[in-house]
Amino acid sequence: MNGNTATSSGIPAKTVYTPEDIKSFDLQRDSGLPGEPPFLRGIYPNMYRGRMWTIRQFSGYATPEETNRRFKYEHDMGGTGFSIAFDAVTENGLDPDDPGTEIDVGRGGVNVCTLQDMETMFEGLPIDKISTAVIASPFSACPLSAMYFALAERRGINLRELDGTSQNDILLFTACCHIPATIPPRHLINLCVDLVEWSAQNLPKWHPVSFASYNYRENGLNAYQELALLFANAIDYIENELKRNRLKIEQFAPVLSFHLAAHNDILEEVAKFRAARRMWYKIMKERYRVENPKALAFRFHVQTSGSTHTYQQPLNNIVRIAYQVLAAALGGAQSIHANSFDEGICLPTELSVLISMRTQQICQHESGATVTADPLGGSYYLEWLTNQLEDRAWEYMARVEAAGGLVAALESGWIHREFFKAMADYQREIQQGLRKVVGVNCYEMEEEPYQFPVFRPNRGAAGIQKAKLAKIRLERDNDEVGKCLSEIRSATERSENVMPAVIRAVKAYASLGEICDIWRDMYGLWEVPLLKME
Amino acid sequence: MIKKVLIAKPGLDGHWRGAVVVSAALRDAGLEVIYLGNQTPEAIVQSGFQEDVEAIGLSILSAGHIELVEQVIEKMRQKGMEDVLLAVGGTVPPEDIPRLKEMGVHGVFPPGSKVEKIVEFFKQERN
Repeated sequence: MNGNTATSSGIPAKTVYTPEDIKSFDLQRDSGLPGEPPFLRGIYPNMYRGRMWTIRQFSGYATPEETNRRFKYEHDMGGTGFSIAFDAVTENGLDPDDPGTEIDVGRGGVNVCTLQDMETMFEGLPIDKISTAVIASPFSACPLSAMYFALAERRGINLRELDGTSQNDILLFTACCHIPATIPPRHLINLCVDLVEWSAQNLPKWHPVSFASYNYRENGLNAYQELALLFANAIDYIENELKRNRLKIEQFAPVLSFHLAAHNDILEEVAKFRAARRMWYKIMKERYRVENPKALAFRFHVQTSGSTHTYQQPLNNIVRIAYQVLAAALGGAQSIHANSFDEGICLPTELSVLISMRTQQICQHESGATVTADPLGGSYYLEWLTNQLEDRAWEYMARVEAAGGLVAALESGWIHREFFKAMADYQREIQQGLRKVVGVNCYEMEEEPYQFPVFRPNRGAAGIQKAKLAKIRLERDNDEVGKCLSEIRSATERSENVMPAVIRAVKAYASLGEICDIWRDMYGLWEVPLLKME
Repeated sequence: MIKKVLIAKPGLDGHWRGAVVVSAALRDAGLEVIYLGNQTPEAIVQSGFQEDVEAIGLSILSAGHIELVEQVIEKMRQKGMEDVLLAVGGTVPPEDIPRLKEMGVHGVFPPGSKVEKIVEFFKQERN
């Protein structure tokens, strides 16, 4: 017997669906063909026949030298995009020689503090042909993106042709995870929007923000809450840019991009991806009267859901990841990161990354999922579920707006409380056996049935990074650096876009920490409302 | 029985989900919980000492568990806090669990640990 009578997000489901359940469904208005408004069925007419999704593994550890080797390995194994995982020191906008950072240097990702590190990390890699996702926190996104732009310029790449993404999502590092060395969100949002604004004018192929509902989902939200926060966040960025009266929406909406989760419930996830496309179309078309077709089409990257992977019997995660990749493919993703099976235990080994890449390639070439566009479209259940997710997402979005919009809801702690409620409920469902997790609350084993290699980060990374930074500080033109840093400060004070000054500073080899210190000094640190949960 | 617990994240690792879920469960079980968030090992031990806690729980998902725990234990020794219960949660590879216990950690709770077991651990009788 199957005890499931609801989707993973708790939407009650019937035993079977018939045309009765989608009676009001109008093919022209609600669906259209792939490549046509409202883009329910995909953003291109021929979908994967025209262009396969990008295999983009999120990677990084220890030093830029070691991460360069991992990137090269992934490229050799058929990876078609890069995605940089920075360590917590870098995400916090700190340098490896800042006191108290030593143990975290190069641990959860790669340490990058100057342009030289960025150059080293991409040495020998074809960044003119392969796009990169710079997974930077909103606090570090301007300087880290600037380092990548400077690297591209020095390689002779026309910035107008440079393809890639900055994460730059304000929620990700203030609510989903927390970087203790950041400034308050009301100031942070200005840096986020500066990058969007500057990129929209200078790098038309660059996506200066990727709204990461992946991470909101990882904090326990369900599928429709994920959609709601995703769009509430995007709207907040749009409103903040429009408030400045510098750009029209048509000028920057096309560069906004999205990063969603692929969770366990395959059909619910497919419905979610489809609902997302239709919702974005409506937001652009109905709310903002946008006409540019590039802005109307919802482009997204998918990451398989790390929080669904188990520490127990970890090879089972290979199966979970494969189903999640399948959901993303059936949902029409443009780019996919398949997690590695060992991520509950350690950073991925070369072996686990290889399996993840092969999982994607098997899905692309063997599964049949890419033969035709939106292969599940028209299923009574799927169309009904797509409608359900959309309706519920609009409702939840109205609650975020009632809480004052995204930044206000963030500073007041409303979002942290929502996350906390969601994760506590999710945990309770696992504890009570209402949500089955194989190997954790059913089919448990006393002893792990097999052995697997564990990744060990290089403990010497901090020493190496510190020494390199010390050498740079000695050799660079420190007067020039000082001048560049004070330009950043005055641009910030005058509410001008900080990017031109930040780019000049990184080219003079100013460090990430030196740049972020300016903003910390001006605005102080943010006291995260997490600590005042009650 | 233990009444007062300090939960903290040593270093800069930003994954707060586990630490906060465990803090709330301990509060629901009637313990007084101080949730410190991210702090240096030194500041964690200093707070634990000042607040006179009977147990410290560290949540670490940064792969730095061995060195961070070494530092915390060393500072606890300097403060004469050998009788304080110490637990570690997070992404600790299975082979590191015995090593942490040898170092003086009383309980290690990797991902998937049952929250009621963690609560039970913190509510244990101490001699």
